[in-house]
Amino acid sequence: MPMKLLECDTLIPEREKHVYIKEAGEDTTQFLPLSDVATIPGSLSERGCAFCGAKLVIGGVLKDTIQMIHGPVGCAYDTWHTKRYPSDNDNFQLKYVWSTNVKEKNVVFGAEKLLKKSILEAFDEMPNIKRMFIYTTCATALIGDDPKAVARTVMEERPGVDIFVVECPGFAGVSQSKGHHVLNMAWIHEKVGQVEPVITSPYTMNFIGDYNIQGDTEMLAQYWKKLGIQVLSHFTGNATYDECRSMHRAQLDVVNCARSAGYIANELHKTYGIPRLDIDSWGFSYMSLGLRKIGDFFGLQDKVEELIAEEEAKWKPQLDWYKERLKGKKMAIWTGGPRLWHWTKAVEDDLGMEVVAMSSKFGHQEDFEKVIARGREGAIYIDDGNELEFFEVLAMVHPDVIFTGPRVGELVKKLHIPYINGHAYHNGPYMGYEGFVNMARDIYNAINSPLWALAGQDIQKGEQQ
Amino acid sequence: MSQADEMVTFIQEHCLWQFFSRASDRESNINGVLPLAFKIITGEPYKCETPDERCHFANANRLAAQMKSSLPWLEGLTKEGLADVISGAQGKLENITVKHSLNGELNLPGY
Repeated sequence: MPMKLLECDTLIPEREKHVYIKEAGEDTTQFLPLSDVATIPGSLSERGCAFCGAKLVIGGVLKDTIQMIHGPVGCAYDTWHTKRYPSDNDNFQLKYVWSTNVKEKNVVFGAEKLLKKSILEAFDEMPNIKRMFIYTTCATALIGDDPKAVARTVMEERPGVDIFVVECPGFAGVSQSKGHHVLNMAWIHEKVGQVEPVITSPYTMNFIGDYNIQGDTEMLAQYWKKLGIQVLSHFTGNATYDECRSMHRAQLDVVNCARSAGYIANELHKTYGIPRLDIDSWGFSYMSLGLRKIGDFFGLQDKVEELIAEEEAKWKPQLDWYKERLKGKKMAIWTGGPRLWHWTKAVEDDLGMEVVAMSSKFGHQEDFEKVIARGREGAIYIDDGNELEFFEVLAMVHPDVIFTGPRVGELVKKLHIPYINGHAYHNGPYMGYEGFVNMARDIYNAINSPLWALAGQDIQKGEQQ
Repeated sequence: MSQADEMVTFIQEHCLWQFFSRASDRESNINGVLPLAFKIITGEPYKCETPDERCHFANANRLAAQMKSSLPWLEGLTKEGLADVISGAQGKLENITVKHSLNGELNLPGY
């Protein structure tokens, strides 16, 4: 079937290039949704901004770094606490939010002095913290502030501190994706190679594109410890600023989220010759495959087999219990981009579910190549879906559960369809073996919750219904 | 469906290395992994000394194991027959993921 123009898109027919329904015998040389392009005016997009992609997704995860957001306070508040990535140092990065709180007078007269004052004030208030990210936002980029110059001055005045500037205002790109790109490229060019790590194992790697959502990083860290692999840098789950400056010494880059961090893995290969190994960390089959690949690279096959046997013995019976009860249930995945292709076969192979519709906010065509190759025939694949499209798709495929973000989640809850937070999870972690059982449990609980039926009752009618 | 087509469908569903962002990386992975998978399946000697070769080995070794269990006709092929199927699959894969790909970003210098 060619690209699909949904009925709700009659007045914005350009949307036809963004919606695809897979049929037998087709491949991505025939049909591939247009993506990573500007949202069509009139389409009620669910996308975030480029600044958000840099701050909320990647930079804000670092556990020892002040995140100074140079702009109006809303830019800081709205990218704080909306994603749950804890850390093993008492969640410093979740407890605090920093903003230069730019006002109208700063827009008129410039905000560099305000920025410097805010930087010094933050370091003075938190004397144990010596690392900082500064982000430009739409307002401070438009008035032409030069935060890099301010950062240089502060670093000269205070030799112990190190500051990284992310120049990616919200308007810089069509979605969050631009922020991932800008942060990746600036970090590799400006900061990687500045810190020499202490090597404690003959096997070293970076784990790239995992942000410790509800403890994912810590879940996987157990495996690396058992295998004797030293992770020099998690980019950026539960990581420190300086760990991420020492990425250049790793023997291997293992990439989970290729969309948000594939760039830095490519650049590490180009500059330092570190090979890039992409894996999926969700699902039993995928996790085992990824571990076996890492074992093959380092020559640790026996240890990997032991680990897999141990984990499967512990968690497979629970997974099977859920699989028996979730078999044939229909699921929709409306998230950022990569989780479409990470999850579609994982839930189909390991839980027997059917993924019937997928929508990506910021995926590129590369992500659609992956998900169309992995996804089932008859499924609907959408780029930058809008609210009316979501309603229409629900009527077409009737999913039993939807993985999406809180914004769309509120929408589907009103239709009494169970939703699970596909970005920050409900009760994670979801990665690894134990994590995938958590995910299965959340799906089971969501589908079987009595709340959906109760929510549909009109309490004003009392017992007469 | 030909055996090469079946192999391509399998690889498309299971392997992330064919989908790297840049055309040159995709070609390098396809040409690094598939010939090595052939050697692993047929027991031919191979070397994996450089970091890139070891990474290709990790992908090829798993692909060989997965294909052996999922494509039962593989075992019945002669060495020459397998060489033909894998080389056919290699060409088809390059067509899908590089030469005829609709992905407009494959050759962007700044990707």
